[in-house]
Amino acid sequence: MSTTFKGRAALPGNVEGSAEVSHTGFNTCATYIEVMISGSNSGVCKDHDNPDLFNRDLKDKILCIPQTVGSSSAATLFMIILERNLAPKAMLFANHIDSLAACGLLMGDNWLGKRIVTVDMLGDEFLNTVKPGDSVKIHEDGTIEINA
Amino acid sequence: MTQSKTHQLNGQIGTDPSFIHATGTGHSKANAKASDAQPELKLTQEEQDILDGKSGDLLQKAMKTVCDYGRLFGADKLVDLDCAPHMAMSWGSDGVEPFLKIYKQLADAGLKTYAPFTADPKPMDFDDLPMTDEEVTMAKKIYNRMDELEEINLKLGMVKDAWSCACYVPQMGNTPKYGDNLAWSESSAINYSNSVLGARTNRNSMGIDMLCSIIGKAPAFGLLTDKGRQAKWLIDVQLSEKPHPEMIGSAIGIKVVEDVSYITGMDKFIPGVNEETAGYLKDLGAATASNGAVGLYHMEGVTPEAVKHGRDLLDEGYQTYVIDDAELKRIYATYPNLWKDEEGTPERVFLGCPHMTYGQMVEWGNRVIDAMEKAGKDKVAVPTYFFGSAPVRADFEKRNAGIVAKLDAYGVGRPINCPMMWCSTPVSGAERVATNSNKTRVYTTARFFFDDALSHLIVHGELPSKA
Repeated sequence: MSTTFKGRAALPGNVEGSAEVSHTGFNTCATYIEVMISGSNSGVCKDHDNPDLFNRDLKDKILCIPQTVGSSSAATLFMIILERNLAPKAMLFANHIDSLAACGLLMGDNWLGKRIVTVDMLGDEFLNTVKPGDSVKIHEDGTIEINA
Repeated sequence: MTQSKTHQLNGQIGTDPSFIHATGTGHSKANAKASDAQPELKLTQEEQDILDGKSGDLLQKAMKTVCDYGRLFGADKLVDLDCAPHMAMSWGSDGVEPFLKIYKQLADAGLKTYAPFTADPKPMDFDDLPMTDEEVTMAKKIYNRMDELEEINLKLGMVKDAWSCACYVPQMGNTPKYGDNLAWSESSAINYSNSVLGARTNRNSMGIDMLCSIIGKAPAFGLLTDKGRQAKWLIDVQLSEKPHPEMIGSAIGIKVVEDVSYITGMDKFIPGVNEETAGYLKDLGAATASNGAVGLYHMEGVTPEAVKHGRDLLDEGYQTYVIDDAELKRIYATYPNLWKDEEGTPERVFLGCPHMTYGQMVEWGNRVIDAMEKAGKDKVAVPTYFFGSAPVRADFEKRNAGIVAKLDAYGVGRPINCPMMWCSTPVSGAERVATNSNKTRVYTTARFFFDDALSHLIVHGELPSKA
């Protein structure tokens, strides 16, 4: 059965993939700390404090989160994971996008020519509905289809 | 969706309150819905030409990024920038390589910011904040691209050696006027310029600050608009005595997160904005910005917009938060002790985050001398540092030879780097640092203490029993 949500297409695109879900703010810096510090080429989440995502590979996934949080280094990390092809396919925000994510995603889009499809303002009910492993289809207009 | 996290980088540093949900721009979008009407971003012909690539590929990308960013946050136009830029990125490391690459492209193309800019303090000061040889080697390995950053910055228009988070003090010279539009990063400088000077800037991410400064324009939303500067909170201060600025700022930041506040009941403690109160207002604002994500506060009878518009600045449906003595005690009791040896004696005392003003250097200089002389001591018991910009330090040293001679004899250092970054660098982050800065407390494992406790610590090497 398919459930549909409509958000704002911040960085529009048509993609689909498997969901990874965080119910707490996505700490970009902590998630990719090994990418930053040791040059790791892994998209696996290394944020010990995120029980939903810790040790799960986020590469090419549909990442469903409330908002991003944490260090102001986040914007550069988005660009690093885009350069190294470690990024999620899409990021779906329950809340309004935050400035650090926006900066990183837009700079990646405009300066590297690599896009993480982004939809925001999907609402709390979206995060209550989507489950890890669900098939998620994203439409260019910000419509999200979830197939459990 | 409550937040359970209490620290940054997997426990390596700090209690970072950035785990709160906020847009980070200084303008809450907590109730925004995708179905809300979005304003159209209208460009002038000149702006449209740049966006169309008529001024080259790099300016086109810069303009497109700035416009996209503005659209995401509801801008309806771009505004010309005034005064001069200030950038938060002051560390050169592999972690910021993507930005270095872009900035180098801009610099190599001969592009410059619209005016000469200042930047946050460097993370290390090897001359005035001593470390072991091993620590220095490690720190240089972590910040392996400082020279590259500095070279690029100078090409892009940075003022030589203008590294300070308190760029707006007279000695630094990057002091905006009332009503100036800016695109600054560095949360404390943003807060000061908005609140104390009446200039207008959103809280900008690194990267966006530089691109706005290259094109000389910023998207008009949030704190750049009259509506965005309306207060959603009335802060009703009912305190028996003048509060520590870091405590009242902390309380406000934790409560309002990123909303604008209108503070009443402080004008009996703060007579207005002047050289003496500048440091107090700086520290209060920095605490609101780091314990929450506040970009602007108004203080009744004190800050310029509050003096001009009074309670007309209160937005319809504003909420009220009462701060009394009990509330500040409650907030202080929530601060965790993150030292690995919780009962250990502090190894260093850090004063000045954000960087000290001239007045604060004089005040703390006299405070230390008074405490040392009363105790009959001739050397500080714990290494103690006053952090300030090079120009402020030079001015302090030039005008206060007597104080400086005594501080030098006691062994009080005056480094010019960023204490917060020093503490959050793995090589130095394990030390037990005591500070009077709520910002340093929040982003590192340093512990916050009141000024009297720190004075006692500096002189006697231990905290008073009630600290």
